[in-house]
Amino acid sequence: MSSLRFGPVEIKNRLAVKAFKAIDDRFGVKEILDDEVFEKIAPSHLNFWSCFGGISFFLFISQVVTGMLLMIYYQPSVSQAHSSVAMIMNEVPFGWLIRGIHVWGSSLMLITIGVHMAKIYISGIYKAPRELNWVIGVCLFLMTLNLSFTGYLLPWTQLSYWATVVGTETPSAIPVVGEYIRFVLRGGEEIGQMTLTRFFAIHVIILPFVTAGLITLHLMQIRRQGISGPL
Amino acid sequence: MASPTEYTKNKECEVKALPMKDKERLIREGKAYWFFPDHVAEQIIICGLILMILITITTLFPAHLGEKADPFNTPGHIKPEWYFLAAYYSLRLAEHFEFLGAWAPKILGIVMQGVAIALLLMVPFLDRAGRERRPSRRPIAMGIGLAAVTVFIVFTLLGYYI
Repeated sequence: MSSLRFGPVEIKNRLAVKAFKAIDDRFGVKEILDDEVFEKIAPSHLNFWSCFGGISFFLFISQVVTGMLLMIYYQPSVSQAHSSVAMIMNEVPFGWLIRGIHVWGSSLMLITIGVHMAKIYISGIYKAPRELNWVIGVCLFLMTLNLSFTGYLLPWTQLSYWATVVGTETPSAIPVVGEYIRFVLRGGEEIGQMTLTRFFAIHVIILPFVTAGLITLHLMQIRRQGISGPL
Repeated sequence: MASPTEYTKNKECEVKALPMKDKERLIREGKAYWFFPDHVAEQIIICGLILMILITITTLFPAHLGEKADPFNTPGHIKPEWYFLAAYYSLRLAEHFEFLGAWAPKILGIVMQGVAIALLLMVPFLDRAGRERRPSRRPIAMGIGLAAVTVFIVFTLLGYYI
């Protein structure tokens, strides 16, 4: 065979075909690509409102990328946090843009998740066999809220500090374990370096990993069950 | 074809397993279109639009950086971000139930939020209307949904203006 077909695209360049064959012989990528991309069809009844799940996913990717870039300059210490964010805003080239996309992206992501959930609810897509995907979806929504909450403290401003005082006080009302939860969230009795360190760890490592895992489950179920039919 | 489990009996599930000529027939009949390049092109345009919106917003309204935290100086008005205003107001609302006892304000505040999250998680199992999906045939689900959104918006506004 001297040519390769990827959907409507035919590749005849002998070097390209040979190179791809060499990879395909070892990993069998053509089969996966055909299944997942080139021989796949999408139903025509998808409309404007069907896009919001995908948009939320794109915003998650955008948050991960801008978050990685912010981490290069951010310093998670009580004495340095505020000045490092000020440096990102004022001195780092395009730092204001990256942080702006990260800050506004979190708000926009919660809006698109809200629209996505409303669409799924109104069209009854959560019904059998997709009940568990609704549950995973709600967990993803809660993860996004927790990411917003932990990320809010990181610039160490007056508002973020005192919002976290109130926010970590709330769970202490839970009977028996409440006080303990507050202690664990704060890393002590007061909000300080320990709180900032663990909010940083939760925000940049723990929650993004859990969220990525849940997104994988969410998408795998959609691939397995197919897109729901028209109303 | 896969074995006839409950899962594959659902007609919506079978698209992936279709042979190529059936996929081509669905496309001719206008019931589907190619994922590549048509759908992918759409997605790229949508992602580009979202990125443009984000860049525009952040250029016109740059992200704010307030003054540095001061643990010894409590500011007068502590308001959370807009998406937590409804939860914030539910805490303020619970303060009105102090006549039930000193325990009431804190416990009721967190109970309200816990119940809201639990109800949201259990939507598919609480909906007993069978497999009917058309909104016009599900007045109860639509009514409850509308009520929930209304309460959220009202709580958010009250949380903002209180």
